[in-house]
Amino acid sequence: MKLNIAVCIKSVPDPEWYEKITIDIKTKTITRKGIPSIINPVDKNALEAALQLKEQFGGKVTVVCMAPPGATNELYEAMAMGADEAALLSDLAFAGADTLATSYTLAQGLNKLGKFDLVLTGTESADGATAQVPAQLAEWLKIPHLWNVKEFTFATEQELHAKVKMDDAVGEYVIQLPALLAVSREINKPRYTTAMGVMKARKKTLTILNKNDIDVNKSLIGQVGSPTWSGDISIPSLARKGQELIGTPEEIATQLIAKLRAAGINPAKRREGDGK
Amino acid sequence: MFTFTEEQEMLRKVIREFVEAEVAPKAQEWDEANHCPVELFPMLGEMGIVGTFVPEEYGGAGLGFVERSICLEELARHSAGLAITVMAHQLCMGGILNFGSEEQKKKYLPDLATGKKIGSLSLTEATGGSNFMGQKSTGEYKDWQWVINGRKCFITNSHLADVDLWTVITGQNEKGKPIMTAFIIDKDTPGHTAGRTEHKLGLCSSNTGDVSCVNVKLSPQQMLSQEGDGPKIALSTIQEVGRAGMSAICLGILRGCLEESVKFSNERIIYGKPLNKLMNIQFTIAENKLDYESAKLLTYRAASMKDKGLLCACEFALAKYAGNEGAIRAAKRTIDMMGGYGVINEYPIGRFLRDTLAGSTAGGTSDILKVVIAAETLKR
Amino acid sequence: MTHQGIWVVAEQTVSGISRVSFELLAKARELKEQGGLQAPVTAVLLGENLDDYYSAKLMEAGAEAIILVDHPVLRYFQNETYAAVLKSLVEERQPSIILMGATAAGSDLAPTLGAKLHTGVSAHCVDMRLNEEGHLVAVVPAFGGKVLGDILCTNFRPQIATVRPGILGKVICFMHKQCPVERFDIADILAQDQSRVKALGITYEEMKGVPLEEAEIVVAGGFGIESKEIWQQLETLAAVLGGAVGCTRPPLDEGWAKESQMIGTSGKSIRPKVYIGMGISGATHHICGMKDAGLVISINKDEKSPIFDVSDIRITADAATILPLLIEGLQKNEDDVIC
Ligand SMILES: Cc1cc2nc3c(=O)[nH]c(=O)nc-3n(C[C@H](O)[C@H](O)[C@H](O)COP(=O)(O)OP(=O)(O)OC[C@H]3O[C@@H](n4cnc5c(N)ncnc54)[C@H](O)[C@@H]3O)c2cc1C
Ligand SMILES: Cc1cc2nc3c(=O)[nH]c(=O)nc-3n(C[C@H](O)[C@H](O)[C@H](O)COP(=O)(O)OP(=O)(O)OC[C@H]3O[C@@H](n4cnc5c(N)ncnc54)[C@H](O)[C@@H]3O)c2cc1C
Ligand SMILES: Cc1cc2nc3c(=O)[nH]c(=O)nc-3n(C[C@H](O)[C@H](O)[C@H](O)COP(=O)(O)OP(=O)(O)OC[C@H]3O[C@@H](n4cnc5c(N)ncnc54)[C@H](O)[C@@H]3O)c2cc1C
Repeated sequence: MKLNIAVCIKSVPDPEWYEKITIDIKTKTITRKGIPSIINPVDKNALEAALQLKEQFGGKVTVVCMAPPGATNELYEAMAMGADEAALLSDLAFAGADTLATSYTLAQGLNKLGKFDLVLTGTESADGATAQVPAQLAEWLKIPHLWNVKEFTFATEQELHAKVKMDDAVGEYVIQLPALLAVSREINKPRYTTAMGVMKARKKTLTILNKNDIDVNKSLIGQVGSPTWSGDISIPSLARKGQELIGTPEEIATQLIAKLRAAGINPAKRREGDGK
Repeated sequence: MFTFTEEQEMLRKVIREFVEAEVAPKAQEWDEANHCPVELFPMLGEMGIVGTFVPEEYGGAGLGFVERSICLEELARHSAGLAITVMAHQLCMGGILNFGSEEQKKKYLPDLATGKKIGSLSLTEATGGSNFMGQKSTGEYKDWQWVINGRKCFITNSHLADVDLWTVITGQNEKGKPIMTAFIIDKDTPGHTAGRTEHKLGLCSSNTGDVSCVNVKLSPQQMLSQEGDGPKIALSTIQEVGRAGMSAICLGILRGCLEESVKFSNERIIYGKPLNKLMNIQFTIAENKLDYESAKLLTYRAASMKDKGLLCACEFALAKYAGNEGAIRAAKRTIDMMGGYGVINEYPIGRFLRDTLAGSTAGGTSDILKVVIAAETLKR
Repeated sequence: MTHQGIWVVAEQTVSGISRVSFELLAKARELKEQGGLQAPVTAVLLGENLDDYYSAKLMEAGAEAIILVDHPVLRYFQNETYAAVLKSLVEERQPSIILMGATAAGSDLAPTLGAKLHTGVSAHCVDMRLNEEGHLVAVVPAFGGKVLGDILCTNFRPQIATVRPGILGKVICFMHKQCPVERFDIADILAQDQSRVKALGITYEEMKGVPLEEAEIVVAGGFGIESKEIWQQLETLAAVLGGAVGCTRPPLDEGWAKESQMIGTSGKSIRPKVYIGMGISGATHHICGMKDAGLVISINKDEKSPIFDVSDIRITADAATILPLLIEGLQKNEDDVIC
């Protein structure tokens, strides 16, 4: 059994820098100048899962990203980590896409690149964080999907058994291939990229595909193809005017207990079944 | 002008990610416990950090000295002790790679380059450091075997190495000058033992100590290159691998000083403002920056010359000299800038100063470096 | 436009109906009033064994019409079947707005439905309103909650939005007469459904103490708690206060806390009366989950830590030192009260 796997990776501004994000009031755009781009963190888990499958069963791993040209860096990094090939879907006409247009474009790109047994994505991106692309991508590709997958194994050659994170619960599913899985960060620990990997990456194939290369219906891509659009954006102020408690640790504890009481919080009455 | 290729930039990024995750959080702890994190070696091997310049056919990453310097700089940014451990290990590999027979390379390099085994290079003796022809260890050919006797000191990885390169005196030439020859000694060879462990001012997460040989019997296959090649092997390894490595390590420490000074001066509030609003503090930052950037240019220029096969002994001497002295200055400056916090061990800056001082002699003292630089300069 | 009315897709849980369904019904009623809409606020519930209890609950929370889809195959959430059912319902009835909880199921179902109907979906909204033209304006967070954007979908119907549980907060109890309850038959849909995913079952995490979302007091710990031992003290404090324990992401990675305890963008949104945060730096990802707390108390040893900017009471101190003092002080007081 050889697997042909595609992994969708998004290039996002490094979350460590989100404190630095500002908004340009005039153009109503988000300024991310000076913030480095990285592979969306959980997408590395998706790639790791793909690489493990390839190591186990053989096959090929292709990474795909829709982004402006600068994202070749992230794709090379993914190939340095171990992906065999990369494709960047890049065209001015793709800009301003919501999740429906993004997933349509990704789907057309994947269809162009081949027939995949498995498409892996992250659960959500660090920036837009809608978590909607995986489900919609599966819909365009007409394949079944599971979202928030924390574990999966082959049940048969054509079926995966997967554990899915629900709210305070875990669901178990069996899904037929070809399928899309959106994986969560507990699924694995992504490997480190090695020096050897870095050097091999540039020798691998990176294809850049524009709107003509992937046969798109022009009314379904970019801003034009997006049913949603964004109005005002803002950075809400959450600042509170704080009061500082000072003194020795004992004094602080006493003051704090007084504050809690003032707020109507008293130690738990010894109710049945409470505590030990 | 020297610039990095895209690969080199990416290499730095991925090594930094690794170091920040696996090294940075524990560096202080290792230092305090005098612990050399050998347990990381297999991982460092897999990453290509230990076998950077070893060709792929021998299990290495097949890269050059610029890449090696990048890896060492990134390691030393958070743990110079670990960096010198790797560096000394590479001395052993460098010796075998450049002077070993095909058989020796095949036998030793794959395990060393992948971090499965650890190497060391034992030159220094009580009577022979800078004056390394003053060595007294001997090798005698008896019954088709070489018998080695002697004691080495200040050897990095003395207690950890599986493969130890030695230089010994194997006779005298017609002019009465000692003939020095190099040997590869395996860890479990009878008579080869590690002696005292040094307690050092700095680089505490590296292992330094004595190694001695008492009637260690080696087959002729353990000789590296030919009889009398010892000085050539020692000098070229120390200069082109050791000094090159130490300059990258000093550079890493320097960057640590620079980054700590920026961070602290941003965060420390004094007179109601960040410390760095004071002009003398800004000067400290500017000076740290200059020391870092000049050492960086010197280090990577020397490394790229080496990769092109050019002569670069003077360039590496310049780089290590500038890096080491620069790091001492920058660490001191930063400690001063931090006031009382500068000497508190929760901040790494004190460790940086200790490490750079402890690294002063390894790869050549500043005096020796000046001798090399002057000789080269006066020649013109 | 022919599309009319607001739908709330409610969610069946082990213990009834998810709380966010009720939050959404309250919001839907508010939107209806705000927009002067005619069509009734309709609750749609998919599940198994949907007896009168369910319709009563939905009605009480504000539903003015109810559609129940009751079938054994709907016992567990399964995107393909759920989406197929909703799609045919929506195409038949043509609502203008569909609200769902941004639960694990809702976050996955809404985009599928959006794609099937070729319309826009606003994700994980924190608030919403109708503008002058009557379009839904959904306030959507991005960049870990740092940025809020208004998302509109003016040219397509229905307008779909998911809303983070706990973020609207308000559940209203409506005094009602009767409302129409319809049972929708899906035999035809199921006949065509060739689902490629099979749900095998669901295992609930064992919960002890007060659920995080419902606790009046939350004691949250971050990486600054430093060890499992100190973490246990933090749990003791929460127990003494009768509250719940919350966490940031690092304690999860360290194995001190459980997934269900994480507060923030990828965790829960809470609004307790009192939030006590210890050893938490105040990353946007975390703040966006606790910003609605009543009284925010923070203990951090770093006086410049960003959490202090969003706190009512700031304490610059070592959490490990303060914790035992608090526990001791509170237990002493408690005895005072009892004696
Ligand atoms: C942390 C550490 C790790 C080391 N690791 C190794 C290792 O792995 N393998 C190994 O073989 N050795 C190692 N060494 C030893 C190191 O190479 C020697 O310390 C170094 O060569 C200096 O020798 P020395 O200590 O005998 O000092 P000396 O040579 O005695 O120097 C004393 C002083 O004289 C000055 N001096 C010496 N010669 C001259 C000259 N010609 N002109 C002007 N001034 C001169 C020096 O600058 C110095 O100030 C290590 C040392 C340290 C501190
Ligand atoms: C403030 C703000 C609010 C927004 N709100 C909405 C909204 O409510 N509804 C809406 O439709 N759009 C919205 N968007 C637009 C949305 O962020 C973009 O469409 C984005 O390109 C894709 O969505 P995401 O980042 O949320 O990805 P997610 O759906 O969160 O991403 C999940 C996974 O899909 C894959 N993936 C996502 N994007 C790409 C890509 N470009 N290339 C390769 N793989 C990818 C990755 O594997 C990723 O882990 C919003 C944008 C902003 C800035
Ligand atoms: C896509 C994405 C999603 C995320 N989602 C979430 C989320 O939902 N929720 C979440 O919380 N995080 C989330 N994170 C992680 C988030 O970005 C932060 O990394 C995290 O919140 C930091 O947790 P922390 O404050 O506990 O740790 P740190 O940032 O490491 O802070 C520890 C704090 O403890 C203080 N401290 C240390 N020792 C002591 C002591 N002895 N006494 C008192 N104080 C001490 C320090 O001064 C410091 O301020 C997410 C990240 C990403 C990239």
